[in-house]
Amino acid sequence: MTKLSEGAIEALSNGTGGNDAVLQCVNIRKIDGGNGPARFRVMMSDGRHTLSSFMLSTQLNIMAEENRLAPNCICVLKKHVTNMLKDGRRIVIILEIDVIKPAEDVAGKIGEPTPYTEGQTKAPQSAPVPESRPPLQPQNRNEVNRGFNRDFGKKAPSAVPNTPGGTSKVVPIASLNPYQSKWTIRARVTNKSTIRTWSNSRGDGKLFSMEVVDESGEIRVTGFNQEVDKFYTLIEVGKVYYISKCSLKIANKQYTSVKNDYEMTFSGESTVIPCDDSCDVPMVQCDFVSISDLENRDKDAIIDVIGVCKSVEEVTRITTKSNREVTKRTLSLMDMSGKVVTVTLWGEEAEKFDGSGQPIVAIKGAKLSDFGGRSLSASFNSTLMINPDIPEAYKLRGWYDKEGHAMDGQSLTELKGGSGGGNTNWKALSDVKTEHLGHGDKADYYTCIATIVYLRKENCLYQACPSQDCNKKVVDQQNGMYRCEKCDKEFPNFKYRLILSANIADYGDNQWVTCFQESAEAILGQNAAYLGQLKDSNETAFDEIFQQANFNTFVFRNRVKLETYNDESRIKATVMDVKPVDHKDYSKRLIMNIRKLAAQ
Amino acid sequence: MAGVVDVPKPRINCSMLLQHISRPVCFVGRVEKVHPTGKTFTVSDGEGKIATVELNEPLEEELSGIVEVIGIVSTKGVIMASMYNMLREDKGILFDLDLYNEALKVIHDFPQHYPFQVASSG
Repeated sequence: MTKLSEGAIEALSNGTGGNDAVLQCVNIRKIDGGNGPARFRVMMSDGRHTLSSFMLSTQLNIMAEENRLAPNCICVLKKHVTNMLKDGRRIVIILEIDVIKPAEDVAGKIGEPTPYTEGQTKAPQSAPVPESRPPLQPQNRNEVNRGFNRDFGKKAPSAVPNTPGGTSKVVPIASLNPYQSKWTIRARVTNKSTIRTWSNSRGDGKLFSMEVVDESGEIRVTGFNQEVDKFYTLIEVGKVYYISKCSLKIANKQYTSVKNDYEMTFSGESTVIPCDDSCDVPMVQCDFVSISDLENRDKDAIIDVIGVCKSVEEVTRITTKSNREVTKRTLSLMDMSGKVVTVTLWGEEAEKFDGSGQPIVAIKGAKLSDFGGRSLSASFNSTLMINPDIPEAYKLRGWYDKEGHAMDGQSLTELKGGSGGGNTNWKALSDVKTEHLGHGDKADYYTCIATIVYLRKENCLYQACPSQDCNKKVVDQQNGMYRCEKCDKEFPNFKYRLILSANIADYGDNQWVTCFQESAEAILGQNAAYLGQLKDSNETAFDEIFQQANFNTFVFRNRVKLETYNDESRIKATVMDVKPVDHKDYSKRLIMNIRKLAAQ
Repeated sequence: MAGVVDVPKPRINCSMLLQHISRPVCFVGRVEKVHPTGKTFTVSDGEGKIATVELNEPLEEELSGIVEVIGIVSTKGVIMASMYNMLREDKGILFDLDLYNEALKVIHDFPQHYPFQVASSG
């Protein structure tokens, strides 16, 4: 094995290094030149130490581009110069270098070199970060597993903060307060919002916010206007930074689930410096709430939740009240409590979400709503994590593969049963009268279980315009043509459509309702065209259909409204949707109601 | 045994067996183990408790899944079956034994609202 020149790194770093040192290339990183040519920063090892402050002179760029100079190769440094930086560090510029053993011929790293330090440390092994000021780093850890935390969240702070000779003390996030201004924290960004702009009478502005976490806790940070320009692109979620000199104030708990009494804002003096040695800093701090417990939380609470994505719907587009179009997607999340909740994602998150393979989904800062009972929504402040690398996720995966996948799960979001959208409130038919449903300005909607006791078969069919979306009744011109006033056209044909008048009843009361095409066809079990045909050709068969349909029980979702015709007001009920009775659901509801009544 | 057919038979689970000794009952449960002779088998109710059923003649078919047994409770708490009815799992909606048990509890907690005794007329 080729012998490296041990001690050469030390010499080069001190400026006493000579030429012809045999070194091993550990790492090469390309730095985009912007206006000029790219530069390559190299980390070299002499078997004893590594040094990452080697720069390849541009005339040698081709060696790196052609992969002749590649990690692991052994080379001889033939010519170099050293430049001194303002902070006392040395950069070695490689002017001439010979590769004596190509990377493919070298098994791996020779020896166990450690980063050479001279009072100020360098980034060990990971791709060197091109900053001009060396980050203050602890000297106890030399391995590179950044980002892999073992004791998630509860790690005792190791001998981290103080660097000998360093200028700022790193303090834990938990100790930050508005009365101390000179501090630095070392934290990982767990969540970064998008840039939001506003425009009001006082002017325009923009802001972004993020959440950072360290071993002691978490805190929310907001940046406005100039600080947005300064820091927004620099900061990446998941990376660790040294942050200092932001202004602290009491937190506005309404918008965040971050556990800290304070939150902070970037000021003109704030600094953000990337940090490389981050293995001590936990990934993310989440206080997961079990899905079954969501019923006990208040609506609008901000919650962290984790579960298995049991199923996911297609992306849909809806128009908001402010006439904006947004995309959304719902998924159902189940955890070990056996309960399921519906989660709504919005915008790009919704579009990009891939729920195949039942991934573990964790959301930090989701908003709890009482829509459909209990449901969750990912807001612009929430962080969505798919298959996160945290113990909770592994526990869930193990549980799901063993037992969870076979469970049906009880959903909190459809606790009231029936349709997911609109008001799914269950009523008995007598309630409609006693509660004066439909008497207000707007129509009322309710769901009930009732039995059909009468179907009016006379005038249940009408001749409608055959055009695709037009259902207007056509006038029979008596010459084989039918005229539609709405389309202002004549047609040689028409399509039959149903308007069925029925009386439905339950134990307490009955109700006349009108069923249109879809619900009528569902009740009669035949489509309108066929019924029209039968009516004209086979009266007996036509009657038979109505006989069969009578006395069937369904779940009706009705719309009821008070309407006035020439001084007479009457409640008109329309069937919006008809579904077969889900007996299990019905039984559960009945038992629940009985127990509730008994408890009163 | 003939008296079983015309008489109202309260639905019970294992915890109610001993209150119905010498009375005809209807027991719904999941078949657990069938004795090799085919003359007796055990069933579990919605609460997981086990009861034993004895038949007059040995079984002529494979018994599995949920079964509804009608018979008289012996002094030892064994159901002396006069007839049984297997609820086929491949047909219709799957029977929810837990939900059935909940309903049973309601019926027994509020007998005044479930006057089944009036049912028999002869």
